[in-house]
Amino acid sequence: MLIPRTCLVALLASFIFGSAYAEETGAQTSQLADLLGSDADPAFARAIAPRAFVFPQDHGPHPEFRNEWWYVTGNLDNEDGERFGFELTIFRFALTPSVSASKSAWRTNQVYIAHLAVTDADNKRFYVAQRYSRGAAGLAGAQAKPFRVWIDDWEMAGKAETGTWHLIADDEDFGIDLELRALKPPVLNGIDGLSQKSADPSNASYYYSITRLQTEGSLRIGENDYTVSGLSWLDREWSTSALAADQVGWDWFALQLDDGSELMIYGLRLENGTRDPASAGTFVSANGVTTHLAYDDVEISVLEEWSSPEGGSYPSRWLLRVPRFGLELNVTPVISDQELFTTVRYWEGAVDVTGEHELRPVEGRGYVELTGYAEE
Amino acid sequence: MIPVTYRASFSYLLRHPWQLALALLGISVGVAVIVAVDLANASARKAFLLSMDTITGEATHQIIGGPRGVTEDIYTRLRVNHGTRAIAPIIDGAATIDDVTMSILGVDLFAEREIRTFTGEALTRDTDASGANSLFAEFLVTPGAVTTSQQTAKQLGLSVGDTFELFVEGKNQQATLLAILPDDGNGSLDRLLVTDIATAQEWLGLAGWLSRIDVRIADGDQNSLAALEAALPGGTQLLSAAGRTRSTAEMSQAFMTNLTAMSLLALLVGLFLIFNSVNFSVLQRRPLIGVLRALGLTRRQLLAMILVEATVLGSIAAVFGMVLGVALGEQLLELVSRTINDLYFRVNVTNVSIETFSIAKGLIAGVGAALVAAALPAIEATSYQPRLALTRSALERGARRALPTVALTGIAVMASAVLLILTSGSNLVAGLAAVFLLILGFALCVPLFVRFASNLAAPLAGRLGGTSARMAVAGIASGLSRTGVAIVALAIAVSATIGVSVMVDSFRGSVSTWLQQTLQADVYAGLDRSGAMDPDLIETIRNIDGVVDMSTRKRASIEDENGRTELRVFEMPPASYAGAELIDADPSAAWTAWESSDALFVSEPYAYQNNVGAGDTVVLPTDFGPHKFAIAATFQSYDINASGIMMSRATYARHFDDDSIDSLGLYLADGVSADTVIEQIKALSAGRQELYISSNVSLRELSLLIFDRTFVITDILYWLTLGVAFIGILSAMLALQLERAREFATLRALGMTPTQVGSMIITQTGVIGLLSGLAAVPLGVVMAWVLIKVINRRAFGWQIDMSIGPGILLVAVAFAMGAALLAGLYPAYRAGRSQPAIAMREE
Repeated sequence: MLIPRTCLVALLASFIFGSAYAEETGAQTSQLADLLGSDADPAFARAIAPRAFVFPQDHGPHPEFRNEWWYVTGNLDNEDGERFGFELTIFRFALTPSVSASKSAWRTNQVYIAHLAVTDADNKRFYVAQRYSRGAAGLAGAQAKPFRVWIDDWEMAGKAETGTWHLIADDEDFGIDLELRALKPPVLNGIDGLSQKSADPSNASYYYSITRLQTEGSLRIGENDYTVSGLSWLDREWSTSALAADQVGWDWFALQLDDGSELMIYGLRLENGTRDPASAGTFVSANGVTTHLAYDDVEISVLEEWSSPEGGSYPSRWLLRVPRFGLELNVTPVISDQELFTTVRYWEGAVDVTGEHELRPVEGRGYVELTGYAEE
Repeated sequence: MIPVTYRASFSYLLRHPWQLALALLGISVGVAVIVAVDLANASARKAFLLSMDTITGEATHQIIGGPRGVTEDIYTRLRVNHGTRAIAPIIDGAATIDDVTMSILGVDLFAEREIRTFTGEALTRDTDASGANSLFAEFLVTPGAVTTSQQTAKQLGLSVGDTFELFVEGKNQQATLLAILPDDGNGSLDRLLVTDIATAQEWLGLAGWLSRIDVRIADGDQNSLAALEAALPGGTQLLSAAGRTRSTAEMSQAFMTNLTAMSLLALLVGLFLIFNSVNFSVLQRRPLIGVLRALGLTRRQLLAMILVEATVLGSIAAVFGMVLGVALGEQLLELVSRTINDLYFRVNVTNVSIETFSIAKGLIAGVGAALVAAALPAIEATSYQPRLALTRSALERGARRALPTVALTGIAVMASAVLLILTSGSNLVAGLAAVFLLILGFALCVPLFVRFASNLAAPLAGRLGGTSARMAVAGIASGLSRTGVAIVALAIAVSATIGVSVMVDSFRGSVSTWLQQTLQADVYAGLDRSGAMDPDLIETIRNIDGVVDMSTRKRASIEDENGRTELRVFEMPPASYAGAELIDADPSAAWTAWESSDALFVSEPYAYQNNVGAGDTVVLPTDFGPHKFAIAATFQSYDINASGIMMSRATYARHFDDDSIDSLGLYLADGVSADTVIEQIKALSAGRQELYISSNVSLRELSLLIFDRTFVITDILYWLTLGVAFIGILSAMLALQLERAREFATLRALGMTPTQVGSMIITQTGVIGLLSGLAAVPLGVVMAWVLIKVINRRAFGWQIDMSIGPGILLVAVAFAMGAALLAGLYPAYRAGRSQPAIAMREE
């Protein structure tokens, strides 16, 4: 998965201090290219060659890279069969490759941003909140041992005794308190975890996922506490430059099928409306065998569109085909409006899946992220 | 009909331009003084409040700790463990750039949105071509990156991108001007450097500490308030932001009150002056009034005519007065804000705020006094039969008859002033009210005094100076309805100068003696304001050859919901105990308790204001929560900061997590020159920490210099008051003598030479001056006593020994005479030059 376009510090200041700035700088595409593009300070580390991933160390931060995120999405139900989706993402962003030594614990080059979203499918409501902080003075940060990523009182933390991850994030109107247990080991996306994002070899990231996590816990909406369970998906990615200048956005699919397999696809869209040949994906079979999917392995057809009340039109139903694995899947958002107005505007929502896998009918659930549609 | 009378009235004024000008000038100056003082006070206060308002932002509360602040982990815990969101950490401090004092505001931009926007607004505005918001990022990662207001940048000669040096706690630091703060149009962001909290901690040596945590809690949200309070560890307090602003403002309250008192004094003199000017212009028209009455004008018509005239006159003069007052106020403001900056807090006044209230006060004073001044003589003049109104004698007879009653009233008023002082406890406003009652009562007695005195002096004058002198002196009493007001105005002005001079003089004497005693060490070295001296440097200084002993001091400010308390923390050799004069306890026992137990000394002002003394206890906020301390003694102090507590280093160390020292007192071996040691300290501290280094002699001189500077305002008001009085006496003399032109002409016709007439006039004005001056002495002395023992005591808690230099009294009387003589010169010259025949024919 990719970072939502134009994310992080470029717009952070404007979010913190009002919208005037955002209005003045309509040309967000160029900022995206600058932020995630190739002209970052050469002193940052870059994802160029495959590397050896070591866990649990790699669950922790890689501050020598410019961007990094811990991205958890999931589909949950309560005992009464009510349906929910959630997203908790924590981004790390390095403002500079290094920072001067200081006696002050506040001196840092690390910035953290978190997005929390909950979809209440039955009531067709979508809730969003965010946090931001410097990664210093204990206010926000990330560490591998024991695993913990946090901003203020939102956190993802490893529990040594149970081997689970504990996600806590609470806002005024809603919140989550979930325990996640990995049902499969980490999957390295791309080529051995090196995920190419354009023809330019310097535009790449390190990218792994845990595609199936059993999830239990509680979810709060307003005064109501729901005891929920379901499946989650973790995406971990870090890079210094990932995007090419002519890429305008992407569509990302993370689907969990009821036969035990998972499918991840990202389609990078170019200015001319076509899909970048660097677009790719990963298929994980029920028994854990992973296969890298290249551009040619995947067909994406948009069947329906949804117009945001705030402007812009998003694709809203798809037919995904991966002939190599006999996959033909209909993907439908559980509700249309799952658009986030956080630091940046994007769509990230729970979806339902029906279709065929090797001629056998399958159902599933997942999350889709759509960026680069809001500006039009 | 009416237009004709009005024309008559105005044409009269126009035919006497001098008198018209003086009346206008008198009212104008009176109004100007009122407006000026008000404006200076209000502007300084408003600028301070605006600035506090901007800096406080949306914060409703503030979490504060001990002298160094709160530890930063409290903030982290609130956010991470308690999920408190509407909070923002603040580091504040001071820096000096080219001798300009600036405030440092260290902020965390990520938290600012909850509290204030100006700190980050500038950083979101400009994005460079590279797209990323580099200003925001640079502010965070660049050590020394600051933003400041356009005005301040201009004042410092800085442009965006410039790197410059500043001194923080005596240490040289580098800063870069990253951006310009948004212009709020009222200068409340001037002299402010906004920087990242990391830079602020680095500069101020406050790693691990926050000056405070700003909190926003919705109005009436008691749950959040209680939850927050429960989450705070001991030694921290949650105080209302408005309350903190108030207690900061209160530090200067006594000073402002004194200033207001001075303005009221000026107002009073101004009122007399206005009364005087208008009164005369009416009195002089008695013949005209008589003629108009004889022509058939009703009493009401005449009264209306005079009152309309007074209103017009008052209004015109009040407008001039306001313009003058604003100009004067700007000058005064400069002084007022300098004093506040010296003594209390940073205030930067860019906008002179003219409040409707001051304008109204000026207008009412101008027009109101003119009306009252005109009404009294008008009622009186119109109450006679038309023919009688043409004569003087009727008026004088009436005035003479009233004198004893007036004087008795005056004595009663003065008695009520005494009563008020005795019964009002420590109420400052009541004290001030008593001063004005005294003045009023005194004013009422002056005319009777003058009659007695001049009646007594007339024969004497006759023996000394012949008939003309006798006539001159006797003329004072017989023209009392005209001279009385002038004499009263002059006497009050002069007595005010006596009162204020004696007070300042006595005060200065007491301070000087106190400084002599307090400054025991031979050499002092330290930081300009509270902070931390480099510990290595302290050690190096202690080891200088010839230094036999050393005392250390730390100025710390602690605060709770009752306000701020200034702590002076000393570690001192027993030999320097003599430096503190303990008033109410046995010194040796008190010092032992002070050194070895939780006992402290309180300053005299503190003791007065809190009504405590040796043997009492006081509860102070410490780093470990509120703690009860015993008061071992009260010490004499003229420290301008009213709430002073002296604590031993050992006691401080037990209750506060702060080992910093901000200044040293060095005791030298016999024969070691202070200058040599000063040179050594200069050399040792150069490049490490900029220190203030001084011998006890020059420190004493400097302290007195600051003292004098504080009273510059007092001086200026004093001269203004005298100026007002001088114009009063001048106009009174002029009017009196001009009015008597026909009388002088008659005397000339009877054979008096111009010189004889002139010297008669001069003699008369001189005696009026002398009598005013003499009358002023007792009031001046009483006023000085009240200012010292009542007003200063109530305002600051100081005990000042009153000392009256005979010089002050002599100068005052001489001044009164001089002013009166000067005022008599022109009339004398004119009377001497006039042609008797023409003068007698006029009218």
